[in-house]
Amino acid sequence: MIEIDGLTKRFDQVQALAGLSLTAQDGRVTGLIGPNGAGKTTAFRIVYGLLTPDQGAARVDGVDVAKNRMLAQRQLGVLPDVRGLYPRLSAREHIRYFGQLHGAHGAALETDIDDLITRLGMTDFADRLAKGFSRGQELKVALGRALVHRPHNLILDEPTNGLDVMSSRAVRELIAEMKAEGHCILISSHIMSEVSLLCDDLVIVSEGRTVASGTPDELRTQTGAEDLEEVFVRVLARHPANASADTKAAQ
Amino acid sequence: MMDQTANGWIRRVLIVLKKELRDHSRDRRSLMLALIYPMLGPMLVAGGLYLAGKTLQGDFRERFVEVPAVGIERVPDLKAYLENNNVRFSVAPPARQDQEDAVREGRLPVVLIVPDRVSGQNAFTIELITNTGRVDNLRVTARLSAIVRGFNDRIADQKALAAGLPTGYATTVKIARINVARDANIAVFFYNMVPPLVIFMIFLGGVHLAIDTTVGERERGSLEPLLLAPVERWVLLLAKALAALAFTGVTTVVNLSAFRVFMGLAASSSDRLVAPPGWEVFAVIFAVTIPLMAIAVALQMSVAVITRSMKEAQIYLGLLPLVPALPGMVMVFSPMNPTDVTVAVPVLGQMLLINQLIGEQALDPQHVLIASLSTILSAALIFGLAAKWFRREKMFVLG
Repeated sequence: MIEIDGLTKRFDQVQALAGLSLTAQDGRVTGLIGPNGAGKTTAFRIVYGLLTPDQGAARVDGVDVAKNRMLAQRQLGVLPDVRGLYPRLSAREHIRYFGQLHGAHGAALETDIDDLITRLGMTDFADRLAKGFSRGQELKVALGRALVHRPHNLILDEPTNGLDVMSSRAVRELIAEMKAEGHCILISSHIMSEVSLLCDDLVIVSEGRTVASGTPDELRTQTGAEDLEEVFVRVLARHPANASADTKAAQ
Repeated sequence: MMDQTANGWIRRVLIVLKKELRDHSRDRRSLMLALIYPMLGPMLVAGGLYLAGKTLQGDFRERFVEVPAVGIERVPDLKAYLENNNVRFSVAPPARQDQEDAVREGRLPVVLIVPDRVSGQNAFTIELITNTGRVDNLRVTARLSAIVRGFNDRIADQKALAAGLPTGYATTVKIARINVARDANIAVFFYNMVPPLVIFMIFLGGVHLAIDTTVGERERGSLEPLLLAPVERWVLLLAKALAALAFTGVTTVVNLSAFRVFMGLAASSSDRLVAPPGWEVFAVIFAVTIPLMAIAVALQMSVAVITRSMKEAQIYLGLLPLVPALPGMVMVFSPMNPTDVTVAVPVLGQMLLINQLIGEQALDPQHVLIASLSTILSAALIFGLAAKWFRREKMFVLG
């Protein structure tokens, strides 16, 4: 379970987070959605221990990230928005490197790597150097890297960004499988159709704070809108400063 | 569960180190910097030594020197004296302009001119068209001047004897030169260029790796995923520094070996040049420079982690090797003796020790200890600062 409790964070003149709170439950997919600059990436970075909050706390399976970063990171698999591969390492070497950094080694690690390569459809490029990989191939390597230590909690930032139809479907199926296995999954996405297909719970963020949350059905009822894109636009419309930007983001 | 013991962090250092070495052994730029660049300095120095050996070395008295001359037959006594001193005359162009052009352009070393009016005179002036901007010219000019001085002394003595005066009457003081320098002094001058060039290369060897594994990772976006792994930040930086240190070590081995091989070849091309110090001396130089490699890498890492882009890091770190190399270049011309105080100055201490080794002087073990401790402690301090800066949020938020 991932808990975010009253997070605030300021960068010089910019108030990135202003009391953001949410809970992502085990066995559910929680979607964090909001316009650009709403604070999603900052919140994620606090959860996975890259940034320290000014106030509030982030907890992973009850572990306060600011107080015990490494313990929290062991329970967490992250797919950042920027995939960031090493061009001179192969896909397999990437996954092995991160598995080893998480303490795995030996035959057990190699078996896990082989399983991931098969599961993510990477067999034909597993031993090629990453330089020249397509965005889909990059994403698969980054996913393998995030999953190799079998984390209970997952943070996926724009998990299908730039993928073709088949690859997107494969990623959605993987997320569904992991949810069924009881993992806690927190995703961020701008693709409303994907959010609609994947998420059990939604948290809409604007100006660094939660402006609406609930299941998709609850949010539809609250706003009187049928599809999630319209829900998103109507929620943000209640916050005039965001209205125009949010409409663009939803489009 | 992750191992929290001392062995645990050492294992994590080794994992990251192994990855960096694998990654950069596949990188052409890193390999060029480690294996090819270190040979360029030695090739240049050895090339200079080879040319100097050919141009300057050798005993002039045993060799003929060819002097293009005009009108030398007008002064038969001088001509005979010069020929007895191994001067051979050749034909020079008759026109003055052609003579000057030929010397200026290096086609002729000098032109000796004996004017018409000199015939039958007891005292006269001869002209020597020379070009002091050329080494071969200096050699002939110096040789001729010395022989003509000898001729004047002989005539003066003959005149003194004829007048019933003692020899040496016209020349009260003569200088008899007793040269105690080895014939090889020109080679030693070149060997003295080794320390600053070695130090320059030490500060360059790991620079690409230091930049690429820190600010380069940030630019490529691979730093953020790496920092998501449950690894201490200082462990990550230490592993990257050790990888840079390994490349610096390889660079230094290639550099020192190339100096020994190329300078040995250049020295063997002339029997007048002394051989460079032996391999065992170069092995000791490598050992003495290990603390220097540590401080070079620590400085590189500290600069790399505070810069905002690879370009900025490349600018600063491109200048870094000049700072320690400059005092070394000064010491080529103005040697400094090591003392307990001077060897305690980080980097300078190693420079002085390498100078001593290249000069084939014995090292004082106390100096080695002081220099090593001082530089290693400084390197640790600088690395500590780099590790502190590596934890800053700006490392990830900006850039």
